[in-house]
Order: sequence, then C-alpha cells, then structure tokens
Amino acid sequence: MAFKTLEGNEAVASVAYRCSETIAIYPITPSSAMGEYSDDWASLKRPNLWGVTPQVVEMQSEAGAAGALHGAVQGGALATTFTASQGLLLMLPNMFKIAGELTPLCMHVAARSVATHALSIFGDHSDVMAARTTGFALLASGSVQEAHDMAAIGHAVTLASRVPVLHFFDGFRTSHEMAKVAYLDDDTLRALMPADAIADHRARRMTPDAPVIRGTSQNPDAFFQAREAANPFYDRFPEHLETVMTRFAESTGRHYKLFDYVGHPQAERIIVLMGSGAECAHETVEWLLEQGHKVGVLKVRLFRPFSLQHFFAALPDTVRHIAVLDRTKEPGAAGEPLLLEISGALMTAWSQGQLTQMPRLIGGRYGLSSREFTPAMVCAIFAELAKEQPKMRFTVGIKDDVTHLSLTDDEALSIEPADTRRALFFGLGADGTVSSNKASIKILGEGTELFAQGHFVYDSKKSGATTVSHLRFGPRWIRSSYRISQADFLAVHAPQFIERFDVFEQAAPGATVLLNVPWSPAEAWDQLPYEAQRLLLDRQVRLFVIDATRVADEAGLDKRINTVMQACFFALADILPKAEAIAHIKRSIEETWGRRGPEIVRRNLEAVDASLAHLHEVPLPGKVTSQRRRPPLISGDAPEFVQKVTRLLMEGQGEKLPVSAFPVDGTWPTGTAQYEKRGIAQEVPIWESDLCVQCNFCSMICPHSAILTRVFDPDDLTAAPDLFETVDEAGTEGIEDLQYRVQVAAEDCTGCGLCVEVCPAKDKQQPKRKAINMQPRLAHRDAEEINLAYFRSRPEVDRTRIPRNVRGLPLLIPLFEFSGACAGCGETPYIRLLTQLVGDRLMIANATGCSSIYGGNLPTTPYTTDQQGRGPTWNNSLFEDAAELGLGFRLALDSLQQRAAYLLQSVAPQLPETLVQQLQAPCETLDDGQVAARRAAIVNLKEQLEDIKHPMAGELARLADELCPKSVWVIGGDGWAYDIGYGGLDHVLASGRNIKLLVLDTEVYSNTGGQQSKATPIGAIAKFAAAGKETRKKDLGLLAMSYGHVYVAQIGMQSHAAQAAKAFQEAESYDGPALIIAHSPCIAHGYDLVHSADQQRRAVDSWAWPLYRFDPRRTPQGLPPLQLDSKRQKVPMRRYMEEEARFRMLELRDPERYELLVAAATEAAADRRELYQQLAGIHLEAQNPDGEHPHD
Amino acid sequence: MTDLTTRWLGLELASPLVIGACPLTDDLPVLQACVEVGAGAVVMRSLFEEQIVAEQMAAHKFIDSRISTDAEARSFFPESERFSIGSNTYLRRLDTLKKHLTVPVIASLNGITPGGWTGYATELEQAGADAIELNLYDLANDTNEDAAALEARQLAVVASVVEAVTIPVSVKLSPFYSALPAFVAGLDKVGARGVVMFNRFYQPDMDLETLTLTRDVVLSSCQELPVRLHALGLLFGRTKLDMAASGGVHQGDDAAKAILSGAHAVQLVSAVLMEGPAAVARIHKQLTQRLQDMGYDTLAQARGALSMTNAPNAHAWERLNYARLLQGWQPK
Repeated sequence: MAFKTLEGNEAVASVAYRCSETIAIYPITPSSAMGEYSDDWASLKRPNLWGVTPQVVEMQSEAGAAGALHGAVQGGALATTFTASQGLLLMLPNMFKIAGELTPLCMHVAARSVATHALSIFGDHSDVMAARTTGFALLASGSVQEAHDMAAIGHAVTLASRVPVLHFFDGFRTSHEMAKVAYLDDDTLRALMPADAIADHRARRMTPDAPVIRGTSQNPDAFFQAREAANPFYDRFPEHLETVMTRFAESTGRHYKLFDYVGHPQAERIIVLMGSGAECAHETVEWLLEQGHKVGVLKVRLFRPFSLQHFFAALPDTVRHIAVLDRTKEPGAAGEPLLLEISGALMTAWSQGQLTQMPRLIGGRYGLSSREFTPAMVCAIFAELAKEQPKMRFTVGIKDDVTHLSLTDDEALSIEPADTRRALFFGLGADGTVSSNKASIKILGEGTELFAQGHFVYDSKKSGATTVSHLRFGPRWIRSSYRISQADFLAVHAPQFIERFDVFEQAAPGATVLLNVPWSPAEAWDQLPYEAQRLLLDRQVRLFVIDATRVADEAGLDKRINTVMQACFFALADILPKAEAIAHIKRSIEETWGRRGPEIVRRNLEAVDASLAHLHEVPLPGKVTSQRRRPPLISGDAPEFVQKVTRLLMEGQGEKLPVSAFPVDGTWPTGTAQYEKRGIAQEVPIWESDLCVQCNFCSMICPHSAILTRVFDPDDLTAAPDLFETVDEAGTEGIEDLQYRVQVAAEDCTGCGLCVEVCPAKDKQQPKRKAINMQPRLAHRDAEEINLAYFRSRPEVDRTRIPRNVRGLPLLIPLFEFSGACAGCGETPYIRLLTQLVGDRLMIANATGCSSIYGGNLPTTPYTTDQQGRGPTWNNSLFEDAAELGLGFRLALDSLQQRAAYLLQSVAPQLPETLVQQLQAPCETLDDGQVAARRAAIVNLKEQLEDIKHPMAGELARLADELCPKSVWVIGGDGWAYDIGYGGLDHVLASGRNIKLLVLDTEVYSNTGGQQSKATPIGAIAKFAAAGKETRKKDLGLLAMSYGHVYVAQIGMQSHAAQAAKAFQEAESYDGPALIIAHSPCIAHGYDLVHSADQQRRAVDSWAWPLYRFDPRRTPQGLPPLQLDSKRQKVPMRRYMEEEARFRMLELRDPERYELLVAAATEAAADRRELYQQLAGIHLEAQNPDGEHPHD
Repeated sequence: MTDLTTRWLGLELASPLVIGACPLTDDLPVLQACVEVGAGAVVMRSLFEEQIVAEQMAAHKFIDSRISTDAEARSFFPESERFSIGSNTYLRRLDTLKKHLTVPVIASLNGITPGGWTGYATELEQAGADAIELNLYDLANDTNEDAAALEARQLAVVASVVEAVTIPVSVKLSPFYSALPAFVAGLDKVGARGVVMFNRFYQPDMDLETLTLTRDVVLSSCQELPVRLHALGLLFGRTKLDMAASGGVHQGDDAAKAILSGAHAVQLVSAVLMEGPAAVARIHKQLTQRLQDMGYDTLAQARGALSMTNAPNAHAWERLNYARLLQGWQPK
C-alpha cells in the first residue's frame, strides 16, 4: 500500500478527478483548491480512470456550475463539483432537480459556515445542513484519510443507487489539514466503480436518438405521486452503500459502516456526531475506556437517507444517555438536524416496539466556524450525560453567560499520547514557514514509518500576516483534530511575536524553544520581556536562538528564512538523525525549487548548510532578569469596547470572550484599525520638508493611508511637539495661509515603498535623496507616534477651502485607514479617495472579496469617522448581490427622505419660512458647502421642533437627518462585477437609480488566489487559464455605455490620478447610475508592486487599459458622451505584457502561443481603440425628457 | 567576382558577414532573409546568466513567497512545475534556428558564476550550437582586484568553458584592455579559437530634467570602426586566433577595411537593426564590388593587407600618428 502526504482537498480531488469526465466549478473558500488541483491536472492532460482527460470548466457562479452539472449528468457524463457555504446554497435549486431526476452525481463539500450576522470562511455544517432537503445523500468524513476514501465510496454508490451524493468534510480542519494517507491507486478505484451502473447511466442519457422529455411541469394530479415514486431508491440506498463499503474494505482493509461505533460494548453514555469532531471524540473515548468509563461514540457516516436499521444495529443496547452533537445552528428549532434525526429514529423505534426503554437524549452545538473541539469538551459532555439533570440543550467550546447553555471544560486537560511529537511554529505569511512545514510533513510522512499531521492557522491580514503551524508526528494513527496546546517543540520565526503574543504559553514543560532573533546568545535572554522569561523558566525549556534572517540574507534569500528554520527544527527536534534530516531537506528543496531554477536551489542549500553553525543554545539563568513588560497591544485611550473585546481578538484570546461580550446582530463600531498598531515594516517613509514640493503623490498612492498630507490653521499648531515640523502651504492655490505637513503612521505602514517611488522631489546634490525616504522604523517610531497623535488631533480645516483637484484632494482627511490589505495593494487608494470626497455621507454595499476582507474582517476594520463622528457605514451581504444591496440602500434612503420631506411639508406652517426653503433647496452630495449648510439647517430644525406641538414633529426630528442627501456606493472586484454579480450589476445600472458602482478590477479572483474571471486579459496565465487566456477581456464599460443613461469611467489612479479624481467627482455628481472601473495592481499580476505606477502607465499607454469617461450629461449639450482620456497607443502591448509574471509565465511555457496571444492582445487593443475613437466622435441627438422623439 | 568564403572558428562561411548578437536573432524570418542575401553565420543574442538568476529570484520573491500565506488563497498562480526559469527558452530558440537556417549558428553566453559559465555552455553545445561566443563583461568596481587579477579570472572562465565543450569558443572583448595583445595571447593559450573586437556597452545617459540616468540603446556608427581596425591591425600576424570585427560596420567599405586589417569575419548589428536584411544585401554587394575592384580573387588575399605587419606605412598604426593628428587639428 502506497502512502502519500496530502492535504484534505487534494486527497478528495485526486479521487473525484479520476472518477469524473466533467468538472464544473467556481472558486470558494475552503473548497477552491479542489478545483485548482483538477484544473492543473487537466492542463497536464492527466487522464481519469477511463483514459480520458476530464473537462474542467470554471463557471460564473456556483449556480452556473450546478446548471452545467445538471446538463452534464443529463447528457450521460460522470460529473462532479467542489464547493462550500454560500456556493452550495447557490446550487440548491439544481440539486433538487438532479436528485428529483435520480441522476448519479457525487459532489464534494468542504463544509463551511453560512454567513449570517457575519461572513466566516471557517468550517461547520451549516451549509450542508441547508442542503439536507434536496434529496442528495449526505455522506460525512472526519479526516483526510476518510475524506479520500469516502470520496471514492461516494462516486461508486451514486452510480449504484442513482441517488446523488453530497460528500462533506470539515472546512479547514480536514480540507486544509495535511496528513499521511494510504493512497487509492487507479486499479483500486476502477475496481470499485460499477461498470454496469455506468452503462445504465449512459443508457439513460438524453439523446435525440432515443428522445424523452424531462423537466416537465406537473399539475396537482401528478406531482405528488411522481415524487413518491422515487422512494424505493432512497430505501435501497443504505444497502447499496453498505455493499460499496464492504467492497472497499475488501480491497483496502479499511472497513467503514454507515454508523461506526467506538467504545465500550456495554456503554451507557454515548456521543453521536459526524465530521472531524468524531475523531477527537474517538481519541477521547479510547482514553476514557482506559480510565474504566463505560462510554462510546457513534460516528455518523450517512446522515441522509437516515437508516434506522443501521443506526440501531450500531447502537449498543445498554445505552441510557445519548448526547447528539451538531456542528450547526438552527435558531428557533426544537433541536439541530442530527439531534432531530436521532430523536425521530428513537421515537419511531419506540413506537414500533423495537425499543423498550427510551434513552435520555440531549443535544448540543459545537465547533461553529472552526471553533476548537477538544478532548476536554468531549469529557465535559460525558460528564453532563452522567448528571441527574443534564442540560437538554447545550453548547461546548464557548462561555455562554447570556442563555447559560455552555458546558464548562477543563482547559488544562491533555490526553495526547506521549509518543506523539508536537511542534508549533509561529511564522510570518511571507517567510515561508507554512511551506517548509508542509515540506517537513512530507519528509517525515513519506520518508519514514511515522504518521504525520499538519494544521495551519492564518490570520486575516493580507500584509504582515501571522501563521501558526501545528505539526504532529508519531508511530500511531493521529486522530487529534484540534490544535496543539502543549508543544514539545516551539519555534518563533519572527521576533515581533514575542512582543505581541503569549507565544510561550503553549510550550510544554521541558519543551525545546527556538527563536529567530537578531540577538547573540549572550544578549538574547535579557532582550526577552518579563512575561516571556517567567514562562520559559516555569516550563524549564531548552532555549535556542538563531539569526535566521541574517543567514537567509547572506545566502541571497532576502527574508525568506524557512529553509534555515527547517534545518534547525530537524537538528533540534531529534526525530531523524541530523545528517539524514539535512539530506531530506536538501532533496526536498531540489524537488520543490529545481523546477523553478538552479539558483534558487543553490541559495537555499547554502542557507541550510550555514544554518546549524549559527544555531546557539541559550542556557537559562536561574531567575527572571527583565523588568520590561510586554507592551500593551492597544493604548489606554481606546474606547471601552475596543479595550474589552477588540483587544482580546487582537491578542489571539478571542475564544475566551463570553457570549455577552458580543453584539447580538453583527453590528460593530467602525474606526478600530487605528488601534491595531502592527509595526510590520522594517523601514518607513520619513519626510524631508526642505525638498518637498507638496505634490501629495505620496499620500494619494499609499494603499494604507499610512502617509498622510494635511493642512492646518497655524493657530491650531501652537502646542506642537518639538519634532512636529510644518512648512508654509505652497502647493495649492488659495490656501497659502495654512501650514502643511506630511505625516507617516509608522506602526501602520507596510513598508511597500510606493510613496518614495512616486516622489518627484530630489535633492539636487544627491538626487537619490528624495522628499521622503525609507528609514528604519524603530529609529523613528517613538517620535512619529507623538507626531501622528498630534497630527490627528488637530481640527480639520474648513473642507470647502480645499480645491477638488489632484493636489487638493489628498489634503482631505481619509475615512479609510490602516487596512490589512497587501503591501502595495492597488485597490485601497480608490476607496480612500472616495472617503476623502464623500466619506461622511457614504453608504457602502461591498461584494465579498478582498475589499470585504480588508474592509470588514475582524478584529479591526479600517472605515472610520471624522471629527464629528460621521463616516462611511458599510455592509457586506454576499458575493453576488452587492449591487442589489446597494440599490436597497438607495430605495431605503429615498423612502426615508420622501417621508421626511412629507413631514417637513406638513410641519412647515409652524416653521420659519427661510428654514423650510433651506431644507427644500437642492443639495448635492459632492458640494461640501451645501452639505454643511443643510446640516446646519437640520440642527436648526431639530431645535425648532422641540418647541413645536405638532403630531408629526417627533417623527420629523427623528428623520430630519435624512433631509441631508447620502451617497450610495457599491464596491467589489471583477469576480463580482464581471461574473457572479453581473446580472445584478446590470440590473441596477438599468434601473436608472442614483447609485454608484466601483469595480476594483484586478483581472482575477484575487481573494481566493488568482482564478481567471471574465476580466482576465488575453495572454494572462491564471488559475483555470493555465495555458494563458485566449479570449478577450469582457468590455464591461462598453456594455454599460450601451444603456446611454449610465455614467461610465475607466480609470487608473496610480498613474493618472487627475483623471481618476475627475471621474469620481463626475460620477458622484451624476444624478443616476455610475460605473467606475478601476485598474487595480495586485500581487496576482506577479511583479514588484513598488513599480505599479510605471506598470499601470504601460497598461494605459499600450491600450491594455484605456482611460475614458462616458458622461450622459454631455449628450443634451450636443457633445459626444464618450471622452477618451487615452488617445493613441504609445507603447507596444508586448512592452506592457513582458513586465508581469502572469504573461511572462506563458512565454516561458509556450513561446509560440505567447507570440500568438501577444498578437491577439495587440489586435484586441487596436479594435477597441478604433471602436472607441468612433464612439468618441458620435454626436447623439438630445432626447426630450419623455424619451420620445417629437414629431417623428 | 571575389570569392568571399572565409573560415571563422574552423567553420566554413560563405561570407564574412555575420549577424552579431542582438534581438534580431529572435526573428527567424528576418534571419532567413539575411542569410538569403549574404549573411555567412548568425550569433544569437546572449544568454545572460545574471538575468536568469534575477528572474528566478524575482519569481521566488513575488510568486513563491506568496504560496501558503493566506487562508483563502493557496497561491496566486497555477502550479509552478511548468514554468521553469532557465535556459529553456534560449535552447528552444537555438534549436529553431538550427533547424531553419543553412548557416552556422553561434550561441552567445554571459555567465556570472563558474558553474553558470560551464553549465550553460554544455547545454548550448548539446542543443546544437556550432560555436560559442563568450561575452566577457566585468564591471571593474572592486578596489581590491587589480587588472591582472581580473584578467586572470577571465582567462580561467574561458579555460573552463573550453574544457567543458568540444565546439569552438570565441571571446567577445571589451575595448578597454590595457594590454590587449597579451590578453589575446592568454586566450589562445587557454584554448579559445577566436576573438571578437569589440563589445559595445550600452552606457547609461542622463536625463537632466529629471536628474536620473537613462538607458536608451544607441546604435553604432562608423565612427566606432577605427578602434576595431586598430586592434585588428595590431594583432594580425601576432595571434593565431581567428578575429572578427564588431561595431561600426555600416558600409561595404567598412567591412573591407576590417578585412584588410585582418578580420576573418565582420559582425553586423546596428546596420541590420536600422535597415533590416537590405543592409546585409547592400554591404555584401558593396564589399564584393570593392574587393573585386581592388583585384582580390579571394578574401584570404585581402585579409590583413593593411595590418601593421603588411601595410606600407605601418607606423600609421602607431602612436606617432596620434601626435600628428592632434597638430593637424589645431585651429588655424
């Protein structure tokens, strides 16, 4: 039997791919990787079991994927898909159809929370349980091995039974776990697939050679009976499954049952559950059995169709107390789905007389959104079962101090076997820690007899992200489906973690601790804060240090320290002989990077060789020597909620917060990113006032609002800190009386360097010195912290004084700051600019994607308020419906505004006439003067209303703020706008309503990892376009222009800020729908984003990204609505394409195809230019307001 | 008509006009047209190890370091196994040229590491190159390495490549050797078969508006020819290495002068970049006509006729001439 070390997603996809002919998918976390693997294998022409390469097709949404699947199985193909969460929900209508037509299909779901009060990418069964009425069989697996096996069983049984199968496993916990599995080879799989059933499936296919009709509409006379006609297929399904499982066992030795019982044969207390939690329960039950407890666990493999017969066959007769656990929540239900199913089963059996004594049945929820489920919780549940009066409904894993449902568990309990080695690694996203840990698991899993498991936890930041790797190795099967709490090896790969987190808390007594720090062994101990020293002494660890950053740097690997740390891990962990381990690492480096090129291999090998010489043990002194405490993560002046809740989330202690700490409806305060001082940049930009020309390019391009430009009234600067330098405002006409300053937020900067790159001011004697230069953060941190606080505290200058041109706009205070977006992100500057323009009157409907993650992922969020407490209000509904959500906002605003206007009209006789006139006068959202005047009038109105006796006065006072207009913007990426949300976007544009849509176009699905969208340009390699996309990018702008009444602009602010600023203002001032398509440089393009301004300029100059504005207001003036801001092509398309890896990869892979696609891209640009130039010359006849041509 | 056949690095060339290393060598139809009208061989543009390494490391930094860093995005590009960054593209191009051209194809190599020089040279030989032109270029900016040490290092590189391959190796030199004949003798000693004089380095220019350095390509002109002629004239008869002129040949007479100075071959780049294959046709015709008018039956007869060894006024190649020229240049 061959063993492989695989991630859950790969383990499942490897089976599904081989068992399928058609694969229709759409990316969604945490299932995306299954589609990606399939696409990759297909592009390598890897055959399925029957010698054919499956067709892998990416659709525009999961609904589209499901429709394509429906067609494929109706056409007689063997088909599959992979999805999760909302994706599964979008498939539901087709799933009913597929099941209703008794069509074999096995799909695989990495089960994930369905978004409710908040989105969560993490795992639970709420999605799968939402699909339980579709008629699909629901098959659960709880580990990587089981998922691999159950995938095969699922594909076989659906063919045998004609009932479609939804195979699910826990998102992240199983889908992303890496484990050693016994791999199913082709022969085993082939033998399992029932050839006769495949032939039957083919025979039922739709073909004009033997025509039938399906999908009829049926009336009350037929539908019901026809629905019942399928019953026998469901009745027989359990037997089919049992047969397949038996055949599977014969060839693999792994015998699954519909319900697998583990425990005491005469158990009195048992737990029933499904998924990865069952593995933890299994491990705990075995431990409890050793302690003499009569307990057991019943693992449910087949949830639907629920087989009473098999359930009771597995249930020990002695059982008196059953706890059923559901990893989902159904608010208001008598119980969660599995509990109700078991409950029904028991009641049926009792009613039939099969059961003479009814066991006591309690039900609980656990593990929502990947919340940990541990042996301690299993023990707590058994303890609850033993009580005289247990809680009939309970939760575990949280502290519920509101409805008091939670059970208390012993957090200190650890039952892990002594012979399992546990290693924990704290890494930075970009330092390669997870990659090398995956390599280590492969080394140990495939190179030794040991079993191996890896689980990886990522935070939600896209820059400076933290990763925690949990690795287990041991001689026995690993069932621990929970994180490591007591590590015997603990490595901290970045020194800042020591200052930020309780990293040593999880070190077991006597553990080996390895730190990557820039300190010598002699000074290392004294550099540690008090808390760290105390813990290390308490645990009596062995402490080692290495300056891995230096070793990696000297080997030419920049800051990529992973191979250095990997070598140290093997040297210290004592799992393999040192020399053997190093040889394994080197082989692994050659295998992994050899395909990239020999130099990468050479440098990594050099780093490995150098690493052990720099590894030093630090003897522990007998006592704590440090007086220095770990600095608080947030300052003491933060609001109470931030102190009590946000701080714990930031510290990684959020799980300890009780239920009462949380908002009940998903409502959170904005403006919290300012409290999360991450300090992730090594170097930050420092201002040289003597050189500055006050162009404000730096703040305009900064993705994180970490470099700020403002003007101040000199009278407001009288108490400035010593180092708070300002200069006379000289860059902008009309405000020369003010003082100007460029301020860095050093602890919020990501160090991307864009600001310095675009700074045009140079020292004449030493031109490399600019008006801002990157300097070590630590040298400037303290001073700039004081300066920043003062900078932010100064009153805002009257906004109406700031000119709305490209120099003036960056002087307005942004209400979007310090997001967790990638360093160099090309999306965020657009959002910042929008908030500078209209942030205090802005409602945002945000499609799911990067912008919803950096915009709204806890612990902290970047949208903030001005000094009056106003600012953007933000919501994310789904991926596909942002435009509709925004339209809803607009409808609500208009309704409330109408009501307020009506109330005002009604109360008007009792109000001063001038006030009413002020409130009824036009007020443009873009006009700060009008808005300020309107707000003043509203204040006045509210004061007046206090003294007015009118039945409507109270309601008018409450709605008066709606008399000030608001701006509604919809924000999303190209995946939303071009693909999944296109229908809604199109409809909202067509509605003619006053709503603005901002498309942050990165030309791929960035958030899920670079899958192609219809915005992907010709010639670009992307996931699902591994051979280079050969069709043209959809011209979204042109489609929108075709309506005639939509304002449309295509912009690129990194290189053409003035045009972008103009477009935003024109869109905002347009009383109707507006669409802005914004070129957004992204790490998925594959180049150093510090050059994004230059590269975007090439995109514009090559006509890969022409700039234009289409303004319907020009038509009545007799002007062509389309204005081209890009005139001629200034650089060849090739010159643009050769700078980005997404195009260059194709050149490396297939130069001839690259040439063809360069030519095609050139031709596409030329065609577009020709078309646009003609459109820009068209003079449309003005239409009358009724839309009819007079006197035709 | 004069027989233009020549031997370069032991290769029989129908014409001394060789398309020098430049981006044109990516363009097969143009090369075919050049061969059609008189090019005797083609040198591919250089395989730059430094560029390959830089691209590998950039890929490592901007692609690989974004693998497994995010909960939602496993990576940002499809699996990387099909995108190896190395000499593959170059070798494929070499293979194409070999398949479609009827003249020798010479690969050009610029390495930076000892292993890089020899490793790539072996690959080039295996891919069918008829010869290898080593593009030696060291920016001497190390205050601890003197000229002798630098030259010794370069000779060691040449030696290692010569040892690693069986095809002939020529070396393209910078014009800045203080003791060119001795260095060329050194090349001979370590087994090189030819020397190309000289490389043209694209020196940066300045943008005085923006206070930055600029990197525009400036094509050669015939003003650059004399320094080549001088070197050829000086070395003819003193080295048994084959010699080629490179830089400044735009007319048939330029080529004729190079041959009369001692060149076995004359490389064309700027003229072809400007005019395309027509330049080859023109120069070939002019050269043939000139040599014929001069009464040479073969190229060999003409080669080196005006070198320091054979010229009637050979002292003109020497320093004395420099002093006279300067005097003659004084304003009247």
